[in-house]
Amino acid sequence: MEGAVDAASPMIAIDHVSMTFVGREASQTVVALDDVSLKIRQGEFVCLLGPSGCGKSTLLAIIGGMLKATAGSVIVGGTAVNGPRPNDMAYVFQESTLLPWYTVLDNFRLALKFQGIDDASWRDRAMHALSAVDMTQFANHYPKQLSGGMKQRINLARGLCVGTNVLLLDEPFAALDEQTRMVLGEDLSMLLARTGKTIVFVTHSLAEAVFLADRIVVMTARPGKIKAEINVPHPHPRSPDFMLAPEFGEIRNELYAILRDEIRATVARMREARDAAG
Amino acid sequence: MTEMSNTQIRLVRLALIVGLIAIWEFYARFISTSSLIAGPSDVAMAWWPKVMGEPRVRAAVGITLIELAVAFAMSVVFGMLIGILIGLTNIGRRSMYPIVLLLYGIPQAIILPLFVLVFGLGPASKIAFGFSHGIFPVIVNTIAGMRNVSPHLLAGSAAMGASGAQQVRYVIFPHMVTTVFAGLRLAMTLTLLGVILAEIFVSQGGIGFFTLLYSETFNPSALMALVLTLALMAIALNELVRLVEARFSRWKD
Amino acid sequence: MRREQLLIRSIQFGLVAILFGAWWFVTHSSQKLMLLLPRPELVWREMQLLWSSGRLWSAATITVTEIVKAYVIAVVAGILVGFLVTRSRNLVRIFEPMLAGMFAIPLTLFFPLFVVFFGIGPDSKVAYAATYSFFPIALNTIAGFSSVDELYLRAVRSMGASSVQQFRYVYLPGALPVTLTGLRIGFFICIASVLGGETLAAAAGVGKSIALSAELMETARLYAWIAFVVLASVMLNLLALAAETRSERE
Repeated sequence: MEGAVDAASPMIAIDHVSMTFVGREASQTVVALDDVSLKIRQGEFVCLLGPSGCGKSTLLAIIGGMLKATAGSVIVGGTAVNGPRPNDMAYVFQESTLLPWYTVLDNFRLALKFQGIDDASWRDRAMHALSAVDMTQFANHYPKQLSGGMKQRINLARGLCVGTNVLLLDEPFAALDEQTRMVLGEDLSMLLARTGKTIVFVTHSLAEAVFLADRIVVMTARPGKIKAEINVPHPHPRSPDFMLAPEFGEIRNELYAILRDEIRATVARMREARDAAG
Repeated sequence: MTEMSNTQIRLVRLALIVGLIAIWEFYARFISTSSLIAGPSDVAMAWWPKVMGEPRVRAAVGITLIELAVAFAMSVVFGMLIGILIGLTNIGRRSMYPIVLLLYGIPQAIILPLFVLVFGLGPASKIAFGFSHGIFPVIVNTIAGMRNVSPHLLAGSAAMGASGAQQVRYVIFPHMVTTVFAGLRLAMTLTLLGVILAEIFVSQGGIGFFTLLYSETFNPSALMALVLTLALMAIALNELVRLVEARFSRWKD
Repeated sequence: MRREQLLIRSIQFGLVAILFGAWWFVTHSSQKLMLLLPRPELVWREMQLLWSSGRLWSAATITVTEIVKAYVIAVVAGILVGFLVTRSRNLVRIFEPMLAGMFAIPLTLFFPLFVVFFGIGPDSKVAYAATYSFFPIALNTIAGFSSVDELYLRAVRSMGASSVQQFRYVYLPGALPVTLTGLRIGFFICIASVLGGETLAAAAGVGKSIALSAELMETARLYAWIAFVVLASVMLNLLALAAETRSERE
């Protein structure tokens, strides 16, 4: 499903963003991102794909206002990003961020309270979000009683429950086994079709990127730059059958060819660093 | 907020310590009128020849160190023995371990006078009291070390054909020893605590004689000189044990 | 399962019974140890005397007052300092090793100095015990507040939580378990320090009574005092254990 096409005013505009991390000692200074520019339309599902350390999570954090870029700017929904914007963007992390000392339901209540919604509607909204991911029966459980897949489902639901236009996901399924990933990927695709949100998804899995994204942005090894952009013109919701389609394999192979050099470069650099350290 | 480098951190710490000593000196010399306050310069002057210069004081400190060494060695050896006996069987552990913990939690100062009655005024009571302090963490660590061997390691060795006895010798025992070593610093601290407590209590000789002497003659600089010397020794001992610990834990992640 | 529990309890009680039995037997069959090991019934009589004469209570009141005063000071100072240090990572790196290093020295060494400054009355014990128990409380508070996973703070910030909300819903509940452990350790160190100080140099109090009865060779009374402290300590330890298992169950 294509969102409102309006190239003149994209939902997310990333403009010449660079990020340098200054370490404790001079040798630990790292250039994570080098002059990245990108425009994301409303309702688009964009995947940031790249080898480890290419800065994709850093870029996501900058979009979400969790980090301040050393150069460049990010504009979301027409306003520049200066810090977290809980009313506009929801952030889902790689590990479960459900607070372990509260129940699932209380975690939802807090998420809404932090956003400024402190009225009686919280319970309905929470239960509604939980039913969207089929987790209503665990509303009163504590996070430690749930499996990894269940927790990430709930994290996803919490991200949806706050009702933002933009959803930022940082490798949310990376810690899960493959079968769970596939099922959750399917569900995400369905949710996207229904809600029309703008989604930015970080991953290092090729298959995941092709299955989920409308557009895949491939990044280079550190310092991160955009190497290529690949479109996936298949409509959402996507079923597992899509993975059998020839276009799936073609796009996947194309991605691998682009990434292969980057991955080898990353390994070579790690080897260099290890040899230098002695 | 930027993180400071390691050298900067050490410099700040040094500056803080120097600053505190300076304030102490200033207060003792210029502000305080009480004869009970001794400044660092007074302490330094009292250190030699008055305190550590006195052969009797040096002898007392030396005896204390010997008592500590004996008590510590006994704590480790007997602590491990008792810990192994208790931890050997499930029933043994589950019945005896709570008792050990309860005994561990009793404030031992109350049995100090009794120990002195039983063992006399000499080194025996100090060694005994140090031993009774240091043995507990060793027992606790020994039992813990026997329990928390990774089941993966045991399964792996069994798969390679190791017998029960071999598993004990090559998997369980080394693991237990490393756990005991991890708790060695605590054992040293507690043993030293017991020995010092006993020494100060028995004021007829040893360090206790001199702490009492300096207290009753209102000689705070000498008292502080003695105390600080012992404190520095305690720090040095602690570092020593920490190095030993680190040496034996090199393989740990 | 129940059978095992029964076996364990019988071993424990059996052990205690054997010890008492041996005590009885040895003291009734030979006269030799009479000075160092009085007969159980004599100790029991002394315990009753201490109780009924009020001497137990007057000494205990002094000791308990010292403990409470010292503990309150240690808790307030320890939590305050511990929390303030965690405000900056640099502060933690500077101070935590210093505090840990100072705690590793037997602070008993400095007790004579406290006596010189504060005299032989309760103040020296309060100051000494407060100083000693300050350390585990401060150190554990630092550990507790440092251990709150950055991840939760970042997540909650991304949801728009204010500083106050971050503190109330993430920082505080996250830091609580370790901090409470520090409070528990500090409490037992406080008790041990007060008793230790009283035994070494005091005008009155439980420790003083123990030291005095040893000096006067009144061994039955000595054992009686020890028995009371052991009983109180065992009860406290059991209480602490019960509280801990109950909080873990939640």
